[in-house]
Amino acid sequence: MEQALAKSDFLAKEERVAKPLVLWRPTAKTGLVSWLTTVDHKRIGFLYGGCALFFLVMGGIEALLIRIQLAVPNNTFLTSAQYNEMFTMHATTMIFLVVMPLGAAFFNFVMPLQIGARDVAFPRLNAFSFWVFLVGAIILNLGWFMKDGAPDAGWFGYAPLTTRQFSPTHAIDMWVMGLQLLGVASIAAALNFIVTIINLRAPGMTMMRLPVFTWMTLFTSFLIILSFPAITIALVEVMMDRLFGTNFFEVSNGGMPILWQHLFWIFGHPEVYILILPAMGVISEILPTFARKPLFGYPIVVFSGASIGFLGFGVWSHHMFATGMGTMATAAFAMMTMAIAVPTGVKMFNWIGTIWGGHLSMRVPMMFALGFLWMFMIGGLSGIMHAAAPADLQQHGSYFVVAHFHYVLIGGSLFALLAGLHYWFPLLFGRRVSEFWGKVAFWLIFIGFNVTFFPMHFLGLEGMPRRTFTYDGNMGWNLGNMVSTIGAMILAIGIGVDLVAMLYTYYKGERTHKDPWDARTLEWSLPNPPMEYNFQQIPHIHARDGWWYEKHHKEEIAKENAERAKAEHDDHGIHMPFQSIYPFLAGLGILIGGIGVSVIDPADPKIYTGFWGPKIAVTILGGLFMFVSVVLWSLEGCEGYHIHLNEDGSIKGEDPHAGYGAKH
Amino acid sequence: MRVSNLSNRLARCARAAAALAGVALLQGCVWFDGPQSTFDPAGPVAREQLNLFYLTCWVSLVIFVLVGGALAYAMFKFRAKTEADTHAEPPEQAHGNPLVEVGLIGASVLALVIIAIPTLKDIWFSYDLPEAEKANAYEVTATGYQWWFKFEYPKETAQTIDPTGKLVNAALTTGNELVIPAGRPVHINLRTVDVIHSFWIPKLAGKVDMMPNRANFLWVEADKPGYFWGQCAEFCGESHAVMRFRVIALKPSEFYAWVAAQSAPARRVPVPDGASPKAEFASYKSFHVNEPGYTDRYDGLSPLDEWRKQQLLPNPVDEDPALIAKGRALFTAKTCIQCHTIRGDAGLGVAGPELTHVGSRTTIAGGLLENNRDELHRWIHAPNEVKPGNKMWVTGYLVNNIKLTPDDENALVAYLSSLK
Repeated sequence: MEQALAKSDFLAKEERVAKPLVLWRPTAKTGLVSWLTTVDHKRIGFLYGGCALFFLVMGGIEALLIRIQLAVPNNTFLTSAQYNEMFTMHATTMIFLVVMPLGAAFFNFVMPLQIGARDVAFPRLNAFSFWVFLVGAIILNLGWFMKDGAPDAGWFGYAPLTTRQFSPTHAIDMWVMGLQLLGVASIAAALNFIVTIINLRAPGMTMMRLPVFTWMTLFTSFLIILSFPAITIALVEVMMDRLFGTNFFEVSNGGMPILWQHLFWIFGHPEVYILILPAMGVISEILPTFARKPLFGYPIVVFSGASIGFLGFGVWSHHMFATGMGTMATAAFAMMTMAIAVPTGVKMFNWIGTIWGGHLSMRVPMMFALGFLWMFMIGGLSGIMHAAAPADLQQHGSYFVVAHFHYVLIGGSLFALLAGLHYWFPLLFGRRVSEFWGKVAFWLIFIGFNVTFFPMHFLGLEGMPRRTFTYDGNMGWNLGNMVSTIGAMILAIGIGVDLVAMLYTYYKGERTHKDPWDARTLEWSLPNPPMEYNFQQIPHIHARDGWWYEKHHKEEIAKENAERAKAEHDDHGIHMPFQSIYPFLAGLGILIGGIGVSVIDPADPKIYTGFWGPKIAVTILGGLFMFVSVVLWSLEGCEGYHIHLNEDGSIKGEDPHAGYGAKH
Repeated sequence: MRVSNLSNRLARCARAAAALAGVALLQGCVWFDGPQSTFDPAGPVAREQLNLFYLTCWVSLVIFVLVGGALAYAMFKFRAKTEADTHAEPPEQAHGNPLVEVGLIGASVLALVIIAIPTLKDIWFSYDLPEAEKANAYEVTATGYQWWFKFEYPKETAQTIDPTGKLVNAALTTGNELVIPAGRPVHINLRTVDVIHSFWIPKLAGKVDMMPNRANFLWVEADKPGYFWGQCAEFCGESHAVMRFRVIALKPSEFYAWVAAQSAPARRVPVPDGASPKAEFASYKSFHVNEPGYTDRYDGLSPLDEWRKQQLLPNPVDEDPALIAKGRALFTAKTCIQCHTIRGDAGLGVAGPELTHVGSRTTIAGGLLENNRDELHRWIHAPNEVKPGNKMWVTGYLVNNIKLTPDDENALVAYLSSLK
């Protein structure tokens, strides 16, 4: 490890001088510039988390509008066009702009701390990932402010509905562009995490000592880099069809709409696991902490995570049972889908094994984690029902499916991510959300969620199709829909209470000491919030649950740390990467270019002149802007500077508490 | 004595409980027997699918009780109940038990095998008919349009009148209401002319998609004559939610009588010489946007009887032949014929539903509105308020600049209603 570091550029060499082409070395530690130029993984995690929570509110409002429209039959609260925008953007937002970035926020913030690293492997690439994510999010939502409206072909965007013939406005162009950019952001971030986990583990942190959350980060990252290329190809094909008249999906010219479904779902199903594996990782951290005993069957939990990731690439066509694939393909995908239930079930058994015989302290994170176990179990069981393909032909495209995946995505992913927020909140901000308000929020969310989504099982089996803006009052669906809408209101209040409680805690909440939960993993060995450099000395890991081991072998660890601190100090201090503005500028270029591309209309005769002319110019300008930024970024080099610490951990010659979110 | 008293009391309790359960069950039925309920199958395909669903339900329920029971037990048993519990020495730092793990994995695999075997059997069953029965299957073709369904009967031949007045053969085509023989397998070819639709008659069979460039099909069989609700189940654009249809299953003799009636060219009401439309003030109900288009007429015990009534010719007193003739002329003049066909009258259009016998259908506007004069008037008066973005409005009324006066509408309603 040390040798590898010495050979790489990661450890700056003192004799190197800054290159002449570096235009600007930002050094601000506070204020807007510090956020635009930050390369600190904790700050970037914070940015991801903030955006995700903002979009959680937006996606939630979209969901409420949907539920209001469906509260009573033949409602006219929304028009069908508005309703189609709502459900398209609700799904796209919740998947790509809430659950994924919230996962990314934890990957960024927690994972490097869990493996004893001082940052991710490529700090500037990490910043770039965030800015591109933000750009994608902006372009996806641009339609709300335009005459063309927001995307309205569903988050799955089945061809040929997305072709220019059936969706002539720019809404789909924005959707295509936005998703492609989100893919770029996700892939760049995933590569970064993989390299970080493989290379930057602290000495002694062997793979089989990795915290399960870090394992799940690794698997999720592999799923991202393997699955996103599929949707990127599909989106590029749609874009080519729409902008340049190719015939991938143009039926009249022999295009094959079924191709879209295969490409989309070979991304789309692993995507489901991209959403749930981080959640499983969070749960696997919280349960042992609050049960005060190690995870039951660690190797099997890790291996089942890997199996889920692997099998997840072999089940995509269970989203397509109704497309007439024929008996053999249907049978194969049905069997694979049942097979994937086994590793998922194994995790459930191990979680129960973890709390079995423990001392469960029912704090707010633990409540959400236990809620996750119940809800995810129900979602998993209705998933097995879908695997029975002939029965699924009745459930497919109905509200039964809506119920199923909300049990997995809210009851699963969102419950776990909220559990994670409450769990790591003290580490992020040094304050703790009040038990009372946390539990109020939990019960509101838990009850509201079940009241909303449990009746949907019956609505689906009663024949109510998804994605319908209205229904007739004589179909037997009135009661279920009304109950569901009431539940949605309770759920919204619960989420609102939770967010307000967190916001309040951020400013005025109860301060906590270090390691308030008596946790087990390395991130809790740090003061909260952690310093910019993370670890005073790179820790040496002696066991799985490294921090638990440290706490129980204090003398041994203290001696080791003192020796290493001296060695590091005598050497050159702590290496820190320079901040950089170029990831942000490259993102800005992509934003300009992306807006240009997604509003160009090749059918417009005035494309080269008049009003449309500048838009091509804008696209080219944006592209150039990005190119120049990336060139400067690479010329800038990946150097850093060194800091030396005082005895108490503060940086010599600096305000020790300046920087990310610290309020002392 | 005491014992018998107790047993009496127990029996009374049991009876009360049974009665309560019965009421609950009945209410359950109210909840589960909607027109599109999958719990109330009316044919072998839907029944097999429901049975498989019940099997998955039972297996899931057993798993839920076992796993949930263990989880609930652990949650309550090992909960830290007091401050002292919270600060007690940590429990034994145990790392797992391979035997338990392997046993549970084995049990899960077993549970899945119980589901897997009937699943495989049913995949073959619901996909297509057994070879031996294929010859007996009745064949129809269903085609999805944004936002209605066309039904063709390739085995049947209909008649139309060519420009010289001669009776010639034509294809038998209807729209939005599929009439099939009961007690006989029906092979439905699924096609689409635009985007992906999905053909779903919950009481007869699970859905199969209508995919462009793909020859999908579905087979159904209705046990007995009946009237069934169906709906598009794949998002297909702005009015996906209101893309509905009906399936009417008839006993074979009634079915062939229906085929014969439908095969005839459009009904023509003779106009006495020199008659002109009666001067009457036609008043139609006015509707707001997305107002329900149904009455309780088809919610009764036998919607099929209501369908049969719809086939009957109207009382001649209720018809104004001159007004109908005016409507017929308007149908051409207002360019309706560009998209609609009325065999024997006018029009060769194929973009919209064939209307030769539209008066005999129970619904219009893609199964959305009940077929009566008020709803017909509502539909041709402001189609966009009924079915947003529909092609009759977007590529008909707007492109051809169709303007209908109240008199025009009145005549068209009279004409279309007369097409039994």
